[in-house]
Amino acid sequence: MTALAGFGRAGGAMAASLVVAGMLMLLAGHDPVGAYAAMARGVFGSPDRIAVALNRATPYLLAGSGVALCFRAGLANIGAEGQIALGGLAAAAAALLAPGWLPGLAMPAAALLAAATAGAAWSALAGVLRVWRGVHEVLSTLLLNFVAALLVAEALHGDMGEDGSGFPQSPMLDPSAWLPPLVQGLELHAGAPAALLAAAVLQAVLWRTVPGFQWRLLGFSPRAARYAGVPVARATVAVMAVGGALAGVAGGVEVLGVHQRLIEGFSAGFGFAAVAIALVAAAEPLAVVPAAVFFAALETGSQAMQRATGVPSSLVLVIQGLTLLFVLAGLGRRA
Amino acid sequence: MTGGPGAEMLAAAVRIGTPLAIASLGGILSERGGTFAVSLEGQMLAGALAAVLAAHAGGTCAGVAAAALAGAMVAACVAAATVRFGADQMVSGIAANLLALGLTSFAVRAAGGSPRVALLPAWDLGWLARLPVVGPALTQPALTWLGLALVPLLAILLRRTPWGIMLRATGENPDAVLAAGGSPARMRMAAMLAGGALGGVAGAALALQQVGVFTDGMTSGRGFLALAAIIVGRWSPAGACLACLAFGAAEALQLRAQAFALPVSSYVVQMTPYLLALLVLSVAGRGTRMPGALGRPLERR
Repeated sequence: MTALAGFGRAGGAMAASLVVAGMLMLLAGHDPVGAYAAMARGVFGSPDRIAVALNRATPYLLAGSGVALCFRAGLANIGAEGQIALGGLAAAAAALLAPGWLPGLAMPAAALLAAATAGAAWSALAGVLRVWRGVHEVLSTLLLNFVAALLVAEALHGDMGEDGSGFPQSPMLDPSAWLPPLVQGLELHAGAPAALLAAAVLQAVLWRTVPGFQWRLLGFSPRAARYAGVPVARATVAVMAVGGALAGVAGGVEVLGVHQRLIEGFSAGFGFAAVAIALVAAAEPLAVVPAAVFFAALETGSQAMQRATGVPSSLVLVIQGLTLLFVLAGLGRRA
Repeated sequence: MTGGPGAEMLAAAVRIGTPLAIASLGGILSERGGTFAVSLEGQMLAGALAAVLAAHAGGTCAGVAAAALAGAMVAACVAAATVRFGADQMVSGIAANLLALGLTSFAVRAAGGSPRVALLPAWDLGWLARLPVVGPALTQPALTWLGLALVPLLAILLRRTPWGIMLRATGENPDAVLAAGGSPARMRMAAMLAGGALGGVAGAALALQQVGVFTDGMTSGRGFLALAAIIVGRWSPAGACLACLAFGAAEALQLRAQAFALPVSSYVVQMTPYLLALLVLSVAGRGTRMPGALGRPLERR
């Protein structure tokens, strides 16, 4: 299928879900046009709003392209949720343990490296279990998500927690580790272009390199891959690790760029959104960009919509779920 | 309550374990037919809201019936996506969970907030309640007894009836069912709908026996915990039910962590169900008894 057809189908699914959600609003006695207008103002109303939306899209883009890679290789990695959480934990731990040890951008870079390592290790664990013990990665990644979230809680209620804040969060990180803003005076942080670059690189790796070809072959037919001499076990673990590293960086970017501290539940739902986004993008890293922006824009605009028109912001979850279902139904029909 | 802290803990374990156990029974139905029950979380959430609204309007029975219907509707979304359109089970389940989370939250606001309902009273089955130690644990509300009764019923259904055997065959090898003249698609759909109804009832148990009101995302991962219980219980109703009881005991223990002065933090205790499930999966190998065709889409012809 061409990328264009994929975009068309995803666009159709998004439009259809907006229409269905609009009908839902009518049923509940709200004005859908006014609500969508308020939502649009909440996203595009000012440069700062746009920056917030793009910041929101950044972890989705990173984790979403990682999940897309795994889907391409036939690995149903739904563990981004836990990999993001641990990435955030690792980035915060690095920034807290070594404040200002490295000059300039090297400090956030090192913290992000820690995040990538944590995410990769967590994800590779599921890959190893699959290769070595035949455990279906769907089950292992799902279970590991909960363990990861509890590890973060354990850290924040234990040694990493801020004394006397009354809320499970770490102390403010040292400013040396913060992701710098892209434009002075705007909230947009340097993670957004980095995520874009990562998606582009991943796209190139998938379609233009030997490992990328092997990974796609693995997705098409594991037996064919084995017959063609692809080291299936190693490739499986590698794909999981790369996908997990991207999810880990997503968590690190959220911590270093947005909150500047680790907060319990900072990434709740991010991983499942990333799975949804990767699927809406038909597991095409570059197509993850518009899908991530769509999901992020919905969430950014939802609060403004609720304030201005009284339509509950949870409508956004309905729109996201419907988009995903429509894409899924469309995928099946063509397959 | 009589019988000391041990008896009280056991009673709490049963109380907390009840929604998990009913959900895991529903999940077993779906997974024995070959479909991952990822949407349990959404089914429970939809069931909880329907139970509170309908019980407020028309009494407990209406609440439970509405919950079963709501859970089945969530499952129907997944069934349509996976069986009719051949979509990935995992992702369809995630979509249904998103949808359920959003729709319940939207609906409860459209209805002007959640009503508060009185919790179901505990049924005291005479001499059972007077037994030492386990007595308090055997004084439980109606849905707990329903869940308990369902365990042998489901086991018999799966092991002894033609429908159950056909269902398990669908989960192991759909082609064999097709060759035998059955319809794997229809079997899967039926199992998912029935499982969804149980998932909804599990939500009703949570809402009507434990909480008494609907709040956004009130299931907070219980559907996934039930999934872990299915694995630990190796896809058998009694096993999953025991696992749920153990998970309930872990949570009851964790709620009383201070009183018991546990040497480990409550978060480590909460991790155990998931680690246990991982352990079972990676150590037991073929002994996990996971349905062979679980997660595999039906081939279209």
